[in-house]
Amino acid sequence: MSVGFIGAGQLAHALVRGFTAAGVIATHKITASSPDTDLPTVQQLRKLGVNFTTSNKETVSRTDVLFLAVKPHIIPFVLDEIGPDIEDRHLIVSCAAGVRISSIEKKLQQYRTSPKVIRCMTNTPVVVREGATVYATGSYADVEDGKLLEQLMASVGYCTEVEEDLIDAVTGLSGSGPAYAFTAVDALADGGVKMGLNRRLAVRLGAQALLGAARMLLDSEQHPGQLKDNVCSPGGATIHALHVMESGGFRSLLINAVEASCVRTRELQYLADQEKISPAAIKKTTLDQVLQQPGVTPDAVGVRSRGISMFNSSSSSSRTKKK
Amino acid sequence: MSVGFIGAGQLAHALVKGFTAAGVIATHRITASSPDTDLPTVLGLRKMGVNLTTSNKETVNKSDVLFLAVKPHIIPFVLDEIGPDIEDRHLIVSCAAGVTISSIEKKLLQYRSAPKVMRCMTNTPVVVKEGATVYATGTHAEVEDGKLLEQLMASVGFCTEVEEDLIDAVTGLSGSGPAYAFTALDALADGGVKMGLPRRLAVRLGAQALLGAAKMLLESEQHPGQLKDNVCSPGGATIHALHFLESGGFRSLLINAVEASCIRTRELQYLADQERISPAAIKKTTLDKVLQQPGVTVDHFKLLYL
Repeated sequence: MSVGFIGAGQLAHALVRGFTAAGVIATHKITASSPDTDLPTVQQLRKLGVNFTTSNKETVSRTDVLFLAVKPHIIPFVLDEIGPDIEDRHLIVSCAAGVRISSIEKKLQQYRTSPKVIRCMTNTPVVVREGATVYATGSYADVEDGKLLEQLMASVGYCTEVEEDLIDAVTGLSGSGPAYAFTAVDALADGGVKMGLNRRLAVRLGAQALLGAARMLLDSEQHPGQLKDNVCSPGGATIHALHVMESGGFRSLLINAVEASCVRTRELQYLADQEKISPAAIKKTTLDQVLQQPGVTPDAVGVRSRGISMFNSSSSSSRTKKK
Repeated sequence: MSVGFIGAGQLAHALVKGFTAAGVIATHRITASSPDTDLPTVLGLRKMGVNLTTSNKETVNKSDVLFLAVKPHIIPFVLDEIGPDIEDRHLIVSCAAGVTISSIEKKLLQYRSAPKVMRCMTNTPVVVKEGATVYATGTHAEVEDGKLLEQLMASVGFCTEVEEDLIDAVTGLSGSGPAYAFTALDALADGGVKMGLPRRLAVRLGAQALLGAAKMLLESEQHPGQLKDNVCSPGGATIHALHFLESGGFRSLLINAVEASCIRTRELQYLADQERISPAAIKKTTLDKVLQQPGVTVDHFKLLYL
């Protein structure tokens, strides 16, 4: 089995590193293509022994499982380019946030009657084989296709099948999740440094504390709240710390983050589906700006107004109470 | 080598589970004592094959490395009880937040001339062998004693030696850290559920995302900010989410938390050192209330806020 990547950026690089570390596929059976050969990830992929090319068509002809690892607004163009070259054997796996199976199948059906499409949402910790991946199967993908993808992705972390309508929420949670964690560790380390630790030790301890806690939760049947209770001794240091977090609405910030990422994912999907905005502009456009355009009505938008009002609300401004 | 635990609560239980999973010591070589035999952790320890007793003296006699795994305000009483039974071979390892090596040595010097004492701060993820532990060595503990403890604690996670004056800060960061993470995971799961995910999947994905990110950071030389940049594509979903975190002062809340835990640790240490407050009351007392007591001056206070 050969695996191909259209796109040779962060995602392709992370997946290749994870797959090869897991030993599920040899690098010489992997091909990746990108028009931009100056990306640092391109050099890293080359170093790993991946076959690199600037031709997407070459990637298609050399592979069986084809990952679309490009930005969402690029997907339609890629599909038009490789459509004619897709064969029966190909399994197309789109990793693009917000791009629906139906839009991919619609494009490919101009060229083939039953294109096998799977949509997946993963995250960068696949690079250390602790990724979080979900996938949904398209109309023509078989059970074995799903199992094949699951085998690949399970070698680099957690993987489970879901209904497609959940994938945007997964994007908001585990897709963007690592960024929330990196921010948290940076801040925790700042706290440690403020109280006298050297930076290196503070980063190490902060990351280790998060990792250990996450591992405890994954290995336990207990509720996170119960695990939290277990580490808060009466009148102790930890419950004092938790109080300041709760006072600042810590939990709410994280709920907001998951929601914002999910809503933005749906926005990008909507904008891409419309194909009214130039792809280069989509990533710089918010739904508000789309609605200001002549001829675009709120009905046509089809996104609940709640999604728009969240960006306009100033609910976050009065929350923080500094000590 | 035998290991003993004075105290059979959460910490003893977590360490025993970790040590036995790591295979560094057999359970029959572990003894734990507690006056309260109804604790759920006591049953857990029994099930693992640990020798349980209500006699602290028995634990001392049966072990070489002795962990003091009781609450900070209990430490002085335990030391007075076991002091006469300490032998040359014993290595006393205190895990009590805020209890200084000098206060332990001072107590034990009434009974022995050169008590070997170490102080460590660990955390509950030792139970899954992903703990974070630091330790400082006392006046009479030798290099080999430090190495022995480090070997034990490294079997259940990260372990490094530090100067004692850093331990309160470590308490605020990695000692309390798991609680910050559990709270964050509960909230992340709420976010996922709000956007349509079933609870179980949301908890699973949230925990996996944090675990993976932490592992990436530990295995990378890059700055957390660089790793954050790497996952924020222009105009994408993640940077939108980050804006919300920043708008709400997310980072500041975490700095506050580390600081609050560290300060409370120092408070508890100060109160225990004073030995003026009854032990049962200490855990319910804040420094403010202590200062309201007759005879306590602000000068004592200055020690805390270095």
